Amino acid sequence: MIWVTWRQHRAQILVTATFLVLLGVLLLGSAMEASRYVAEHAPPGCPGAAVACGDLAVALGQRYDAVYSVFGWMPLVAPALIGAFWGAPLLGREYERGTHRLAWTQAVPVWRWLAVKLSLLGGAVVAGGLLLSLMVSLWRPVFRTGVDSTFGNIGVFNMVGVEPAAWWLYAFALGTAAGTLFRRTLPAMALVVAGVAVSMFTLFQLSDYYAEPARTELSGTVLLDDPDARLVSAAWVEPSGREVAEPADSGCPRRVDVGQSSKNAEAWQACLFGKGYRYAVYYHPPSRFWRFQWTEAGILALASAALGGLAVRRTLRRPG
Amino acid sequence: MSPALEATGLGVRYRRTWALRDCSLSVPTGRVAALVGPNGAGKTTLMHAAVGLLRPARGSVRVAGEAAFVAQDKPLYESFTVAEMLTFGRRMNTRWDDAAAADRLAGLGIPLKRKVSGLSGGQQAQVAVTLALAGRPDLLILDEPLANLDPLARHDVMRSIMAEVAGRELTVLLSSHVVSDLEETCDWLVVLNGGRLQVSGDIEELLDGHLVLTGPDEASAAGTQMVGGSRTGRQVSMLVRGAPPLDPRWQARRPGLEELVMGYLRSPESAALPGLTGVGA
Repeated sequence: MIWVTWRQHRAQILVTATFLVLLGVLLLGSAMEASRYVAEHAPPGCPGAAVACGDLAVALGQRYDAVYSVFGWMPLVAPALIGAFWGAPLLGREYERGTHRLAWTQAVPVWRWLAVKLSLLGGAVVAGGLLLSLMVSLWRPVFRTGVDSTFGNIGVFNMVGVEPAAWWLYAFALGTAAGTLFRRTLPAMALVVAGVAVSMFTLFQLSDYYAEPARTELSGTVLLDDPDARLVSAAWVEPSGREVAEPADSGCPRRVDVGQSSKNAEAWQACLFGKGYRYAVYYHPPSRFWRFQWTEAGILALASAALGGLAVRRTLRRPG
Repeated sequence: MSPALEATGLGVRYRRTWALRDCSLSVPTGRVAALVGPNGAGKTTLMHAAVGLLRPARGSVRVAGEAAFVAQDKPLYESFTVAEMLTFGRRMNTRWDDAAAADRLAGLGIPLKRKVSGLSGGQQAQVAVTLALAGRPDLLILDEPLANLDPLARHDVMRSIMAEVAGRELTVLLSSHVVSDLEETCDWLVVLNGGRLQVSGDIEELLDGHLVLTGPDEASAAGTQMVGGSRTGRQVSMLVRGAPPLDPRWQARRPGLEELVMGYLRSPESAALPGLTGVGA
């Protein structure tokens, strides 16, 4: 059965492995080049927060962006591809070609065929996702000492920790279930792509509720000083202590800004702060990184189990 | 001797329509059984139930020992080489005769290194049959094994199956809607029609037990059990069971297999089943 799994899915396995190796080489090369640049050009005490480190930070930032743009699409596209090429054909192709009647009439029972394929391929998908996460996690710190964005940037968040593995597994299960639904590969692939996109958007919207947001009141500025925090909502607090979405009868003139300037808005905010207003911000601090990682991974793992169970049930109920 | 295949009150339903109803039959060990019937009669359904691809809604179907199945269209993995198909069979089966399979393919002149997609339809059918036989089954079930094959390939496939039957204790159940394909090779007949079992029995006994009567319209066929008949002008031709009638105006002769099958298929209410004394129309 292991040989059969390998022989039938080696194309996907090899393409995915090759892709991960190429990405690894790219990241390793980029990290080594950046390290050498730092060793040769960094003033004493850099990289760091000092003013003298500004040029170095910009140079590193450019290098980071150049490489990041190569694989920045991965949080969305990689799971979609995994679902379409690992999941959808697993059962969809067998049904489509009629080969399920060959595979499931041998001495190996259907349930074992399913168990071996789902566990081996699911395991490989999880391993691939973890490998991606490991590589990205080792690569990023070379460029980003002091400026982290693993929590606030949803794209980066989905590429580190346990997220890639969870998303890949979810997409694989979704594709497998879609294969039993349509009994054809192409519609199952289409469903996976749409399903992954919708799920990602939904979970992104849902992620605000993974924990009770922290609240802080700002005066003099409307910007939170932690760039890696996730903003949930904001409101004005009147001098009386009442929280309102829009201050009314504040007596501050509010003019609309034209073009790129925010001069008028800033003047209005300064006027409000002068009259005793404060700005309340609801947000998730970056310290919740693992809590959010495990919450989302848990949701995706449960969904994967449900979809896998559905695929198994549909298959065992009517194998022919 | 215990039957190789036995169905008891078997019923299979697709959503709300019954594909097979109250089907009870048994095929004795060592027989080559022909499963015939028009399209949609339930032949494939019966076979799928026998090999576990379908769950019966009613009753049961039981195979004594191991069954091997070759589905319609003889599915194989097209990207595999013939050798890889054999490895597939070896990995997926407990009993596996690799040498016999390789010998068979060599004898048929099918190269092991060739991709399945590069084989002719006849060669693909032979590979599918070889895979099924290499698992050393007690019962070989073939769904329309001859469909889409040219006459030469039909002959070759049938001959290789028959060679296997002659070599060891193997029961075969094969379906076709072309009765002439089966005439020379089969010794057991199962007729399905509209999801119901009409005939099940030894072919020689069935042919001996029936008569084709030809005679004038007004002749009395009293004393016989009519299966079905047709009228051409004032002449009547009918298939009956049992002894010839007393009326001397009838000409009686033994039916051919095709005539027997057609006679039953044209009269779905008639049945010739073991345990029944015949239900005349």
